[in-house]
Amino acid sequence: MNVEEYISSGILEAYALGELSEHERAAVERNLLQYPQLRKELDLIEETQEHLLMKAAVQPNASVKTKLFASIDNQKSAPKVVELKRTATDASAWKFAAAAAVTIALVSSYLAFNYWNKWKTTENSLSELIAQNQRVAQDYNTVNDRLDQIEKDLNITNNPAFNRVVMKGTANAPDALASVYWNESTQEVYLSVQQMKELAQENQYQLWAIIDGKPVDAGVFDANFDGLLKMKAVQAGAATFAVTVEPRGGKQTPTLETMQAAGNVVKG
Amino acid sequence: MYDHYSGALLGVISRIIKKEELAEEILQDVFLKIWDRIETYDAEKGKLFTWMLNIARNQAIDKTRSKEFSKGKKTDDIETLVSKVDKSDFTETKIEGIGLQELLKRLPEEQRFVIDHHYLKGYTQVEMAEEFNLPLGTVKTRMRLAMIALRNLLKIK
Repeated sequence: MNVEEYISSGILEAYALGELSEHERAAVERNLLQYPQLRKELDLIEETQEHLLMKAAVQPNASVKTKLFASIDNQKSAPKVVELKRTATDASAWKFAAAAAVTIALVSSYLAFNYWNKWKTTENSLSELIAQNQRVAQDYNTVNDRLDQIEKDLNITNNPAFNRVVMKGTANAPDALASVYWNESTQEVYLSVQQMKELAQENQYQLWAIIDGKPVDAGVFDANFDGLLKMKAVQAGAATFAVTVEPRGGKQTPTLETMQAAGNVVKG
Repeated sequence: MYDHYSGALLGVISRIIKKEELAEEILQDVFLKIWDRIETYDAEKGKLFTWMLNIARNQAIDKTRSKEFSKGKKTDDIETLVSKVDKSDFTETKIEGIGLQELLKRLPEEQRFVIDHHYLKGYTQVEMAEEFNLPLGTVKTRMRLAMIALRNLLKIK
């Protein structure tokens, strides 16, 4: 027999569709046993058919299930047991054993499929939870870092060794407001910006300390940062802090006409 | 097993028996039959679903040939109207068609025709050939091509 031709005649489809006569069915079944390739093809056809009909399902009313299970319980189980007892000869015992084996195999493969499904679902939820957990841990780290930063800042602003110098806006920028925290003995300088407008990309703010009437560079900064920014050290003797606008990177000497804010050191 | 397969089987039955109540009655008979005959199912001859499908289809077709059904058919018109209003919960639970229509749209016209007429309208291949004046071989070829196309669309390997 030419298997290819046999398959392409569509007879396996007709078999799966239940459209063959008793005689034809028997012939197909004999061939199925003989040619594994036919078996494989039929499996694919049946699988496709099952998928298709599952998609075209119409859900029955819940009452059908209730009625069905009730009638199985009432009518079917009793006579079935009796019947088996009556025909419990050797041959039928084997038949019964075979039937039981098939039933058990069916039930257990169904259960196995069921559990496999449940396991899959569980696995999915687990990986979701793990991902969620990682996100939460990340968030926690971010918050923790931020808290550390705030604590550090708070230590500086609360430390009496730091002198707070409020720099108010000049005529160039009346709304500007920034503060310098300066520790005269350790020369540390921190800056916090309350209100300064954003500059063009090529410009930066530069902080100056005026010592003995001469401006000393204390570092450059951009307007938008959170908390305190550490600036260059400033030696003892600074009387005034001031901010100018300079080209990005800063300059040696300040462009005084761009001065944005200034404030005098008030000795505590 | 009931929960898994009852929808698909009722789909098949209700495409042959249009009256919903009767279709559900047949579904119940089908499951009783399956329960009775599960010992005769032979995995060598095909999948469990195919076996159940054939029981369902034969049961429904037998019903259309029975006297009870042809008598019922005449009084159906009024009853169907009433039951359509009464039993709106039946139609609401229908999930037929959503994914299916999308799937069938991807088939060439000729192949969609045979699938639609067999699986959704309840025609056999022979009936299709007779009613639409096609050679039976053509119907069979189209059915085979359609099943192969669906197999690929559904990614069945």
